[in-house]
Amino acid sequence: MEQNLQKLFKQAAYHPESRLSGDVWTAIEVKKAQITKRKKFGYLSLSVLSLSGSVFSIKSLIGELIRLGFFDYFSLAFSDSGVIATYWKEYTLSLADSLPVASLALSFFLLFVLFISIRRASYQFKNKLSIA
Amino acid sequence: MENSDELKIKEYLLGNEEVFKELVYKYTPSIFNFSARFVGVDYANDIVQDVFIKVWKNIKKFDYNKASFKTWIFTIARNTVTDYLRKKKMINFSALDKEEESFADNIEDDVVLPDEALIKLEDKEFLNKLLDEIPTNYKEVLVLYYQEDMTFKEIGELLGKPLNTVKSHHHRALTILREMLK
Repeated sequence: MEQNLQKLFKQAAYHPESRLSGDVWTAIEVKKAQITKRKKFGYLSLSVLSLSGSVFSIKSLIGELIRLGFFDYFSLAFSDSGVIATYWKEYTLSLADSLPVASLALSFFLLFVLFISIRRASYQFKNKLSIA
Repeated sequence: MENSDELKIKEYLLGNEEVFKELVYKYTPSIFNFSARFVGVDYANDIVQDVFIKVWKNIKKFDYNKASFKTWIFTIARNTVTDYLRKKKMINFSALDKEEESFADNIEDDVVLPDEALIKLEDKEFLNKLLDEIPTNYKEVLVLYYQEDMTFKEIGELLGKPLNTVKSHHHRALTILREMLK
């Protein structure tokens, strides 16, 4: 009986139009293109934002480095290496003390975001080319 | 154990897009038939499209250690159909669960459909009409078991129900079918 029922049920199955599989595949392709476009736009926006942020933060970093005398300490290493060799501990501490840690961290973070977003955006561009 | 579907998914995840297309072509008729049983032929196309987009979006989450691809895709189809029925405020699949749990303990002998009944069922239109009248919970077991060649175990995994409950759904469905044919 089970086999008969199986046969009868299969005979009564609803069948889709032959183009349905093709339509489904097209819908997936369209969805894929939409997602790629959205991601591309998102990563490009992020790249622009992080680039402008990086410019500002690097400018502020340089200003801070000048204000705290980092470059003066740094140039000492080339002009008077004998003193540096003698007082290297004090010199290292002064050099570290003249580093604007917050500005430095912010600049590195923004540069990192810029790098990642450019990488992701270029991946999306490549992806779009491969879809096309 | 991996079957050809699982191997295809692995290949797709490695970058071969064509194999996903093969899966779409392979499962479209089954998902269409399953969906059409519950939402009607007119809306089944949309359901099929939704199902495959969900499958494509979530393919990385598929774990062949938990279930076969067939069970997984039918689970997605069932959830999509349930969402659709819920939106349309039509009956949902779990409406009869409670009643069925108590019935699960009382399965008697196998239901036998007499030959005359089977002859009546040879009329496709008639069989489809009967199926439309069978409650959703029982109908889905019949469709998955007889049309999609799934085992009771696979159906249980798909529906998230114990094996005994699935068997009792099957038993009850055949009983209803036999009553209808009298």
